[in-house]
Amino acid sequence: MAAYNAATWPWQLAFMAVAAVLTLILFFRPCTWAKIAMKVYMVAVSLWTAFVYYMKFGSGREYSSVLTIFWCMMAAAWMYDLVTHFSTFQKNRRYLPWGIVMLLLPLAYPLISVSRGLEFPCMTTPMIPSAIAMYMLGMLVTFSGRINFFALIFIFQWSVIALSKIVLFDIPEDLLLAVSCLPAMFIFFRDAVRSGEEDKKPSQRTITILIFFIMALIGACVAIQYV
Amino acid sequence: MEQKNVVEIADFIARYLSYMLGAGVHTSRVVRNSKRLGDALGVDVSIHTSQKTATLTVMDRVGHVKDTRVLDIPVFPISFEWNADLSALSWAAYDRNMTLDEVKTKFEELVSKPKMNPVFVLFMASLANASFCRLFGGDIWAMLITFAATMIGFFTRQHLARRHVNHYIVFIVSAFVASICASTALTLGLDSAEIALATSVLYLVPGVPLINGVIDITDGHIQIGISRLVNALMLIVCIAIGMSGTLMLVKDSLL
Repeated sequence: MAAYNAATWPWQLAFMAVAAVLTLILFFRPCTWAKIAMKVYMVAVSLWTAFVYYMKFGSGREYSSVLTIFWCMMAAAWMYDLVTHFSTFQKNRRYLPWGIVMLLLPLAYPLISVSRGLEFPCMTTPMIPSAIAMYMLGMLVTFSGRINFFALIFIFQWSVIALSKIVLFDIPEDLLLAVSCLPAMFIFFRDAVRSGEEDKKPSQRTITILIFFIMALIGACVAIQYV
Repeated sequence: MEQKNVVEIADFIARYLSYMLGAGVHTSRVVRNSKRLGDALGVDVSIHTSQKTATLTVMDRVGHVKDTRVLDIPVFPISFEWNADLSALSWAAYDRNMTLDEVKTKFEELVSKPKMNPVFVLFMASLANASFCRLFGGDIWAMLITFAATMIGFFTRQHLARRHVNHYIVFIVSAFVASICASTALTLGLDSAEIALATSVLYLVPGVPLINGVIDITDGHIQIGISRLVNALMLIVCIAIGMSGTLMLVKDSLL
């Protein structure tokens, strides 16, 4: 991570600046080109993580190629969205405050590192994989008119890995993603069930309770492991 | 019995047996139920089945009036509910001497019951795979990763199936996606990472065609039994191709 930060910090700043500009445009003056640009950005940032973070700077780690492939698949999920124009990036007022907080949470990663006594470049930044996943999740929550479910489930998979890292490798920064992702999974799937056909079984209420129970169970299992 | 009546009964039994075969009921049960239904309605029924079509002959008891037809077997999701309900219908028709109209009405009622919500199936399949992971010795992290990997693979499968992509391709892609996601467990250095990898594709295993194939062969329906086993074998090969892709990428070998 230190080598990655030391070598790529100007690029990281550029990526963060582009993300900030596109997010503000989508927030205040949403237009078609900005939506397309955001999806292109998501593809680019996923490929950046795959090839620069894992393939170039993480190649020393065992099985880093797995994570390269994983982030390529994340890029493919956004590419598919770009081609099919599936997600609309429309603001959803219902989850807006929560979405804004989640969009800002990647900026908390370096602050947590600093509070743990770490210094640049040996610290987390908003351009590490978990922070990027966090930003993507924030975008899905803030602009959740119609969302990219492939990307959501990939982020969920990543948050599961993050959860295990909290316990196995003692990386508390990853707690942010994990804590945000479980409720996000619940609300997105609950909304998907509610917006689907009603003549299905079991009832929407039963499925909602089941999803809540599963997400709570995952959270409880991790809490027990951590304690 | 008049020709018109025999044709009406044949129409209904044709529909009945196509629904049962399409929903994954094994052949001897379909034949037995259709014959029972015919018996209840006062006709003799003869059936020949193959993988995609069935031939049905309905004739009155004296053998003067006959109706024969070849029908396509539609593809439905495997349904144990239809299996049980439609079997019970044949018994009800036989025991209560129901008329053709009554049986038809009851049949329509049974087949128009609500279907499973895909989100519910997605979560339950993921839970089932996580449970398999535990049964094979996986720890909590391996179970969580299997849960999430299955979710991605199953969602991919549902999405591609909705778009009518060839189901062999669906199996290959779903197996690859699920196993590559499960292989992220390797990066955590878990002892049970390989269990997560192996169990992430279990939701694809074609259990019903395999069981039906064996039952059909043991019951003497050799042709359709072999067809079903070959079909199941093809799906297993597709799962193997998807998983092999992951293993070659991740471990540089198939072992």
